Amino acid sequence: MIWKKKGKFFDPTIDKLANHIVEFAQSPQTIVFDDFIRVYFSTRTRDEKGAYLSHIAYIDVDLNFERIIDFSKKEVIGLGHLGTFDEHGIFPISPFKDEDKLYAFTCGWNRRISVPVETGIGLAISNDNGATFQRIGKGPILASSLLESVLVGDGFVQKYEEIYHMWYIFGTKWIPETENEPVARVYKICHATSTDMINWTKEEGKQIISDILNENECQALPTVIKIKDTYHMYFCFREATDFRKNPERGYRLGYATSKDLINWNRDDEKGGLFKSQKVSDWDSEMMCYPHIFTANEKVFLLYNGNEFGKFGFGVAELISE
Amino acid sequence: MKKLNWIKKGLLFNPKEHNTPLWMNEFAQAPHVLHFQDFIRVYFSCRPCPDANGQYVSYSAYADFDFDFKLISISEHPILPLGQLGTFDEFGTYPVSVIRNEDQYYAYYAGWTRCESVPFNTAIGFAKSNHPDSFNKVGDGPLISYSVDEPFVISGPKIRKFNDIYYLFYIAGTDWILDNGKPEPIYKIRMAESKDGIHFIKANKQLIENKLGEYEAQASPDVFYKNGKYHMFFCYRGGANYRGKENGYRIGYANSIDLVNWNRNDDYVGIDVSDEGWDSEMISYPHVFELNNKVHMFYLGNQVGKQGFGWATLENELL
Repeated sequence: MIWKKKGKFFDPTIDKLANHIVEFAQSPQTIVFDDFIRVYFSTRTRDEKGAYLSHIAYIDVDLNFERIIDFSKKEVIGLGHLGTFDEHGIFPISPFKDEDKLYAFTCGWNRRISVPVETGIGLAISNDNGATFQRIGKGPILASSLLESVLVGDGFVQKYEEIYHMWYIFGTKWIPETENEPVARVYKICHATSTDMINWTKEEGKQIISDILNENECQALPTVIKIKDTYHMYFCFREATDFRKNPERGYRLGYATSKDLINWNRDDEKGGLFKSQKVSDWDSEMMCYPHIFTANEKVFLLYNGNEFGKFGFGVAELISE
Repeated sequence: MKKLNWIKKGLLFNPKEHNTPLWMNEFAQAPHVLHFQDFIRVYFSCRPCPDANGQYVSYSAYADFDFDFKLISISEHPILPLGQLGTFDEFGTYPVSVIRNEDQYYAYYAGWTRCESVPFNTAIGFAKSNHPDSFNKVGDGPLISYSVDEPFVISGPKIRKFNDIYYLFYIAGTDWILDNGKPEPIYKIRMAESKDGIHFIKANKQLIENKLGEYEAQASPDVFYKNGKYHMFFCYRGGANYRGKENGYRIGYANSIDLVNWNRNDDYVGIDVSDEGWDSEMISYPHVFELNNKVHMFYLGNQVGKQGFGWATLENELL
C-alpha cells in the first residue's frame, strides 16, 4: 500500500471549535454524506478532581478532506447513568451508516478500584442526521464473557453480504503494578457477527491477528475496508508497558489482509504507513487509532500522532495498492 | 385467604459458633441445598474479617447436615478462588448455586468487583467440577454479563432444570439511587434459559411485578415445583434506608404454570419477621427444598446472614 501523508489536519489546542474542548481529538471516525464528511472524535474535559472525562465532538470536512466547514455545537452523546458501563466517558465512538439510518458503536468507560477501568461496547441511534445520538438502553450490547474476561471495546462495524461484522478488542489480562509501572492491560483484536446489530455472536476469545512483539502485545482499534476482492485491516499496537514516553515501545500502525474474513495475514511492512523519521514531526514518536474510509473515490486514513492525539489528528491518502 | 403455615425452627448454622477458618469468620448467606444419599450439602457464602478500610471479600463454602439437620462437617477450603486482577470476581464469589449434570457439578455464582462511583458491580460466573467440594472456573470472565436492558448488578443466580431445560433465575440492576448521597442498587428478578447449562438466552423480562413501587429491590428468586405449579419464594426491600426493620427485606411469593408469567401473591407466603430474636428485623434469601417428605425453608435474618441462616418447616400443603 502506498500512501501520501498529508500531515496534521486538526489540532484542538489551536482550532478552538467549541468551548468545552481543551485538548485531545482522538480516534477520528467518519460518516460520509453526499456533500461533506463528518469526523467524530473523542475530546476531554476534566472533572472536579482533575480526572479526565471523555466527550464526543465532530467536525465537518469537504469531500476532498482539505478544509473544515462546520463543527458540533451541542453534546453529541452524554455520559451514562450512575453505575453504568459508560458513566465516565466514551472513547472511541464509531459511527455507522446502514442504508439511511445512522448508528454509533461506542466504547464506554467505567472506573474501577483495583485497575483503572473496565469497558464495554454500546449502541446508539441518531434521528437528526448525526448531530446527536441516543442510547438504545443503559447497558452494553457487547461486554466481557467467559473467555473475553475484561475490556471489551473499540468496536468497528461493516456490513458484507447482509451480515454485520464487528472487529473489536478484548483484554486477556491485567499485569500487576511494579516499582516503575502502573497496572497494565493486554488486549487483542477479535471478531463477532450479527444480523441485527444488537445481538452478536462472538468467536469467544479468538485472537484473529497474530502478535509480532510478544504475547503481551497490545492491539487496538481495528478498521477494515474492502478494496476489490481483498479486506484490508489497519490497527495500532504497542508494548504492554513503558509505552507512554518511550517511542520504541509506543503505538504504531499494523496491517493485515484477508480474502474470507476468517483468516488474516499480518504484514505491517506492506501497510505502508510508518512514523516520521523527522524528530520534530507530529507523528515521529507514535501513530495510533487509524480509521480508513472512502470519499470521492479516494481512500483516506485518519490517525493520531504523538501523545495519543493530544494535539489532534492527521490524514493520509492512498495512492496505490 | 389461605396461607402457608411455616413453623420456625430457629437459627441452624452460625460460623461464629464453630471453629471455622479465618476466611469463614462470619456470615452464612444465601444457603442452597444439594441432596446426597444420606446427607444434604448446604452451600453458602461467608466472609473473613473486613480489611483496614472496612471492606469485605466473600467466599463460598458448604456445610453438610444429616437428615435430622445435625451438622456433620464444614468445608475446609473455599469452593472457588477469587478472580484475577481486574476481573469480574476479584473481590467476591457470592452467592453460589450448584446443580448436578450427569457425572459433573455445575456452579453458578455472582462475582464481585469494586467500582469508583458506586461501591461494586457483579456478574454471574460459571464453574464445573467432578467433585462437589471445589470448582474450576470455565473462564476468567462471566457467563452472564451486562446487556442493553440489564446494565449492571447481575447477581443472585439460582439454577434449576425442568423438563430438560436449564432455567437460571437471577437479578439485574435497573438503577443506582442516592440515599443521603450514598449509592444504593435497585434490582429486579430476571431469567435466562439454556439447553446445555452453558449457552443461555435471556428472557429480557422482569418476572415479578413491583409491590413497593419502582424502587423496590427484589432478590433471591428460588423456584420450587410442587403440585403442578412452579412456586417462587424471593425477598424484597425498599429502595432506601433498608438496613433496619422498616424497609428491610421481607419474603415474597409468586406462582406460575409456565415459568414465564408469574402471579405475585405475598399474602400467601405465611412467614414474616419475628417479634424478637435473630430474625426480628428482616428475613431474606429464602431457599425451599424437600426432605423427609416435608417442605423446608432456609432463610437469613437480621443483617442479611451475618449470624448465619435459620430454617422453618411447612406444616400445610404448598398449592
